[in-house]
Amino acid sequence: MKDKDRIAYNSFFYIIFAPALLLILFLTTYPIGTIVYNSFFSYDFISGVREFIGLENYSRIIGEDLFRRSFINTLIFTLSASFLEVFLGVLLAFLLYGSFRGKRAASLIIIFPMIISTMVICAVWSTFFHYEIGLFNYILGQLGLEPVGWLTDRNVALTSIILVDIWQWTPFAYLIIQAGMGSIPGELFEAARIDGARGDQIAMRITLPILSGQILLVLMLRTLDTFRLFDKVYALTGGGPANATQTLSFFIYREGFSFFNFGRASAASVMTLFFVAFLALFYVRKLLKEES
Amino acid sequence: MYRLKFFLKRAVFWIILITFLAVILVPIYWMVNTSLKNPREVIRPVPTFFPEAPTLENYVKVFQAGIWGNFFNTVVVAVASTFFSIVLAFLASYALVRFKFPLKINKLFLIWVLVVRILPPIVLAVPLFTVFNQVKLINTLPGLVVAFQIYTLPYSIWIIYGFLKSLPVDFEEAATIDGASPQRVLFSIVEPLVRTGVIATSIFSLILAWNEFLFALLFVRTPRLLTLPVVISRYIGEYATQWGELMAIGLLSSLPILIFSNFVYRQLTEGFSMSLK
Repeated sequence: MKDKDRIAYNSFFYIIFAPALLLILFLTTYPIGTIVYNSFFSYDFISGVREFIGLENYSRIIGEDLFRRSFINTLIFTLSASFLEVFLGVLLAFLLYGSFRGKRAASLIIIFPMIISTMVICAVWSTFFHYEIGLFNYILGQLGLEPVGWLTDRNVALTSIILVDIWQWTPFAYLIIQAGMGSIPGELFEAARIDGARGDQIAMRITLPILSGQILLVLMLRTLDTFRLFDKVYALTGGGPANATQTLSFFIYREGFSFFNFGRASAASVMTLFFVAFLALFYVRKLLKEES
Repeated sequence: MYRLKFFLKRAVFWIILITFLAVILVPIYWMVNTSLKNPREVIRPVPTFFPEAPTLENYVKVFQAGIWGNFFNTVVVAVASTFFSIVLAFLASYALVRFKFPLKINKLFLIWVLVVRILPPIVLAVPLFTVFNQVKLINTLPGLVVAFQIYTLPYSIWIIYGFLKSLPVDFEEAATIDGASPQRVLFSIVEPLVRTGVIATSIFSLILAWNEFLFALLFVRTPRLLTLPVVISRYIGEYATQWGELMAIGLLSSLPILIFSNFVYRQLTEGFSMSLK
């Protein structure tokens, strides 16, 4: 190739790469730089007063009960929701393995929750959870049990939000795991059966070990996704009762957009970022390993 | 004896399966059921499992309240966000697959994109709010389209990058030798080969954008410009028991995706089996 052609050839790739690169830099790299910077300031957005205070935002926030509560709630939610979703997803994949009449229709129904929007789901569940006229307490009443304050009892509210998340995202776990299961050659099971293995032995010794990669992948995807929990808290409880459903995302939201305390919101964001980076380390490394 | 055991096994299978399906379908049925009740029936302490006097008055009310406008906003924002993401992701991914940028930019960019996909978006909301405020993108639909790229662009880049990487380079080389320009190669040879993958990616992106709540809540205030998720969240909060109308909006908002669910299912399963390979 002549020099002129080489330049034209190279510049073509620079030109098609630039828009995505610039947009990503504008939307993420710049804001992250800003929050790191702002986290060292006392910065009230309404009055516009900005004053350097070093690490005071961090030391204050770490000492606050509300922040610790948010952190613990986020961990509880993330761990229990993602583990249960993956567990149920595996169960469903085993249940639906093989062919039977109506499998296609059943699979179609199973994906409904993950394609309906989160707010619609919250709307329906908020009517179920209503203390006086909700469906759940009506059924409990029929069974002769005491009504439960699904969203108003501080010991129950977080569990209720976990329930909604499980309903919405178990199908996702199922979908990925069944795709993995479908790619296991059937002869493997036949061979095991001929050798006299029972159904549960095949599941524990053959299927699950082969699927372990997929199971880990879904678990990671769900962990990272549940860690951002915001929508459901906003719609169902508003962080209450008595901060029982406060999460890290909700903490940042309130500091930033209810109190317009951008310095504190930034410090809380930076801490959240560090934690996510730690969680994501495994994920990024795994994906990059597959990449090369 | 053997047959009895077989029969029992089948029965247990169906009972478990039907229980699972019921758990999934009841909330969806409840949405339809409640949306057809009149306001008095909705707040009865004993819930009715079928509307006593089915009525469309909830639907009439939400249309009068201007839900069409919100529906339209949601469609416009979702389609525009998806369109931009797909075009930018396709171009950038192709460059990343076929061209080696200096300073390990290829690898760094992909890692960064992945990190963005993992970030809690609220972290970006505070600084972006000030920037968007300065460039007058707050309280506009184009502003939302730009903000939604935080979700849809990293996602599209990773999936389309995967599709392009699995493509053999032979066709492109042959075309280049025949004298085709890089633009020509990209649009006449590469694009048709990955079109199915691009369609699957668009579906995911549309679902993401249709769902988006955080930036839609924070960056738009004018009722006329709100998207459906925000309208729904306002209903949940403010009009505590206007459930008939709430469910009517919920159903209208889910209708597009439910109508195409068969198609979406095929895309989802194919997309996953592709990305797992």
